[in-house]
Amino acid sequence: MRLKLAAVLVLLVLSATISAANPGGKGDDVRSRDCAGSFHASSSSNGISQAILNIEYPDEVYAGLLLEIHTSVESVEVSSNKMVGMALLVNSEGAKDLPANDGWEVITDPNGGTNNYVEISDSFSSQNIVNRTWTLRAPSNPGTYDLYLAVQHGSPDGGVAMTGISLANPVSVSEVPENLPRLSADWEPVNVREIGSKTVITLETENTESATVELKNGGDVITIPVIDNEFTIPAAVNAGVVEWRVILEGEGPTQNSPWFRLTAQEPGWEVDEFALYIQGIALLLLGVGAVILRRPKGGDIENKYDNTDVVTNQFEQTLAEPEPTPELQTSSSPPVPAEGLPAGWTMEQWEYYGQEHLDKLAAGEL
Amino acid sequence: MMISAGTFHVIFTELTIGMFALSGVAFLLCALQKGPESREAVAHWALLGGLIATPFAIISGVNAIPSGGIDNPLLANKLLLSMASSGLAIGVLIRRKFGGNVDFRHAGIGMVSVGLMLTTAGMGGEYSRGETLLFLIPKDTVMIFPIWASALLIVIAMVIIGKSTIEHRTR
Repeated sequence: MRLKLAAVLVLLVLSATISAANPGGKGDDVRSRDCAGSFHASSSSNGISQAILNIEYPDEVYAGLLLEIHTSVESVEVSSNKMVGMALLVNSEGAKDLPANDGWEVITDPNGGTNNYVEISDSFSSQNIVNRTWTLRAPSNPGTYDLYLAVQHGSPDGGVAMTGISLANPVSVSEVPENLPRLSADWEPVNVREIGSKTVITLETENTESATVELKNGGDVITIPVIDNEFTIPAAVNAGVVEWRVILEGEGPTQNSPWFRLTAQEPGWEVDEFALYIQGIALLLLGVGAVILRRPKGGDIENKYDNTDVVTNQFEQTLAEPEPTPELQTSSSPPVPAEGLPAGWTMEQWEYYGQEHLDKLAAGEL
Repeated sequence: MMISAGTFHVIFTELTIGMFALSGVAFLLCALQKGPESREAVAHWALLGGLIATPFAIISGVNAIPSGGIDNPLLANKLLLSMASSGLAIGVLIRRKFGGNVDFRHAGIGMVSVGLMLTTAGMGGEYSRGETLLFLIPKDTVMIFPIWASALLIVIAMVIIGKSTIEHRTR
């Protein structure tokens, strides 16, 4: 019977699939490839994605300056929620593969954050190409670097989680020309704003005599003047993304910055946290007080220190029996045999074990 | 490797909810006067265990919020509910310690405390997964008292606790 039960259990264990999917995703974050596997499964326990992955760089990439790269995911069959997790990495080994390990900085990810791993819901299919744009800051040291695009996604039948990674996409990072008009190395764009409020952005530039801002407005591009290194983007009436870039002119060649994305979103919910914590403490104390305010009724009390009844009984017993005999035995102990206690026994032992001794004698066990 | 506050929150939440749920079942048996004699001990000891884990669950939960602050009404309601539940639980344990009988009302308060804590956990599930079975609870509405009102409540509660404790001791 046990063997059959064990065989059934083993069969059940073997019938389980090895993938542990999170089909709803785990959210955008800074993740290495192994951690990115938490989107659908561990990277060592899933299928290989057939997606065609690519990264495109601008013609010139200067050390420490901002650049815009385009990633594409093509010919991929995904699960019904049409979600793909994309990670930008610097190697395919699953360790020390974050862009920051090579000096890259994600300024704006495709979802408006600053993560190297994002979850994208779009029309992924075997016929479509889904493009996304990332704004990065290049490493501060010139040289040749590799970037990889990795993906995690489900499969149409939902049974297997898939992972894939592109081939290495090398990019040459050059020394910055001395007179190149550019944005300062420590300047970063604003990524998020609230609906209904205009956004004033202050630029910090180097080797720049004049700057002009271009703003994508539907299919058109409008020009916004920059006065004292400041310009204003009009308020958004709906949630969405506007894109803008700055054209920098100076002694060196004119430079166009990447297209920066500014995401307008509903104002976040805010609360006075101090008031909230104080109210929490008040509720806690009020809860305690409300319960212990309900005092136990007289009959309910089980006071373990109240020995009144015991003491009263002892007094009554003492008064009723003024001269107790020294051989007074407890009611639970048997009478001492005529031949006396068994050899080596004390009276106290007899009180506890005497009856058991007599029972064994009667049963002939002794 | 650094363990995130979110992982600790899951651990302490499981501890808290497991023990509160056990306590709730035992209190239900106490209210019905059914089941083994150990039901009273189980109810109160499990409640104490859950209560010990609760502060760790609250602190790790607050630290696990991605934005670093309470930016969602669900989180505010979770905090208030868990504190109210903890208060009732502490009251139940103190009352029992002072010799209160485990009658229907006592067990009922214990179950209310457990219910509030389970509701808190349910709201956590909605916050992280966007799904819930708590359809009828207005989770997005937060009633925040002014600070002076909360302070007044604290004073009133302290007076009640002090008075009740003295009366219990003098009996």
